[in-house]
Amino acid sequence: MTGRFDAFWAVFAREVRGASRSRTYLFLILALTLVVFGLARAGNGPSAGYVPTVVDVLLVVEVLVPAVAFAVGYRAIADDAVRGTLDVLATYPLPAWVYVAGVYAGRAVALLTVVLVPLAILGGVVAATAGPATTVFATHRGVDSPLLFVRFLALTASFALTTLALAVAISALADSRRRAILLALVGLLLVVVGADITVFQAITGDVVDLGLDTLLALSPASAYRGLVFETVLYVAFAGRSQFVAVPVAAAGLVVWSVVSLAVATLAVRGRRA
Amino acid sequence: MTTYLRATDVTRTFGDVTALADVSVEIPEGSVVALIGPNGSGKTTLLRILAGLLSPTDGDVQYEGPSATRPLGYLPQAPSFRPGFTTHETAAFYARFVDDDPTELLERVGLGAVPDRRVEALSGGMTRLLGIAQALTGDPPVLALDEPASGLDPGISRRVFDIVASLAADGHAVVVTSHDLPLVERTADRIVVLDRGSVVAADTPAALRERTGGPLHETFTSLVGGDEDVVSIRTGADR
Repeated sequence: MTGRFDAFWAVFAREVRGASRSRTYLFLILALTLVVFGLARAGNGPSAGYVPTVVDVLLVVEVLVPAVAFAVGYRAIADDAVRGTLDVLATYPLPAWVYVAGVYAGRAVALLTVVLVPLAILGGVVAATAGPATTVFATHRGVDSPLLFVRFLALTASFALTTLALAVAISALADSRRRAILLALVGLLLVVVGADITVFQAITGDVVDLGLDTLLALSPASAYRGLVFETVLYVAFAGRSQFVAVPVAAAGLVVWSVVSLAVATLAVRGRRA
Repeated sequence: MTTYLRATDVTRTFGDVTALADVSVEIPEGSVVALIGPNGSGKTTLLRILAGLLSPTDGDVQYEGPSATRPLGYLPQAPSFRPGFTTHETAAFYARFVDDDPTELLERVGLGAVPDRRVEALSGGMTRLLGIAQALTGDPPVLALDEPASGLDPGISRRVFDIVASLAADGHAVVVTSHDLPLVERTADRIVVLDRGSVVAADTPAALRERTGGPLHETFTSLVGGDEDVVSIRTGADR
């Protein structure tokens, strides 16, 4: 008898193997590399240092990462549902949560490869091209450093994982590939702009009695943006700006991920009734 | 013979449509039970309920077979596998859940010679055989096969039903839906005839044939009252 870890590994390995054989992922890596290098070159960030490079690419990364995450995840479970694989898997000793965890972890490996490889290469280019005069960039607060870029990569990875969890949840709710595409587009819009708009409406309408920094932390995109400002770009600002409540923003990303995966698990379990 | 799977007074509705009404079926060990009936008669719904993939609105299904890691194997009507993987990789994926041998599974259904062929390059018959290999994974005591031979040429259909017969001979309890009455007549130990969600007859092939004195098809036509291609359903107004 095999255990849950073996069951998880079977699903995880299938996802990773499938991704490793797909040219789509190579295309995504290439496209993302072209975009981030194009942006960085236009802003002249790499020759200026790590923080200027982050400034150059942040806005587009904030939009591209969810787009790539949804591209990677929107059919993750919907395909298995459409093929009848979920019905078949229901007859195996494979709990729904183990299946969802395996799919998510496997797709996460693919997504992080797509997102982090171009950015890591960009970081390498910064290390190779930034001049000595620009290595001390942030004259107001501190010193430009590779550590700041590593933080940016870590935060971007966290944001990618959160949006992938949302995409997997949406995929689990779709009952056809067409609906999966439609729901993924709605989900992407929600992540990129919808949540931010809701937060601003809440602020302007005095709907909730929370500070702006806390409210912004509730939206995944705002939380990510705020965390980058607070932990990476802070060196460029004269005073403590409090863009976002850091603990709330970090917790927000975790909560979005956990709730999304719980929704995916319930949706998979619900198909068995 | 010990009953491995028992459905008692099972009813299933979808909104106003009654797909099954008070259906009771027993699937004994070492036998093939065939569910036949016109399109829309409730065969697939009953099979999915027996397989535990669909909950009955009323009534219950009890597994009474031996303890097993995977008590029940299921073959969907149109098995489909993730493209880009070979037959061996696909069999290995399922085998890993129950610690089975994928090579042996492929050989058992006659696919041992094509372990490296991608699933998208398999013929319809080979895909169905791979589906049967999947259903057999973990050696489940009960097998629920949804139209395992539909759309296949006569040779492959016979081969599929030969596998079904051998499974029963090995002691499995097999429940199968099919429109192929000659093969059902040849293979099944017991036939359950469904019409508009109800069991209209349940007996051995020989006993069903005796009702009209002709082949099974004649009995089938007399029981369901017409063309098996005509879809008829029961709504709330009929209840």
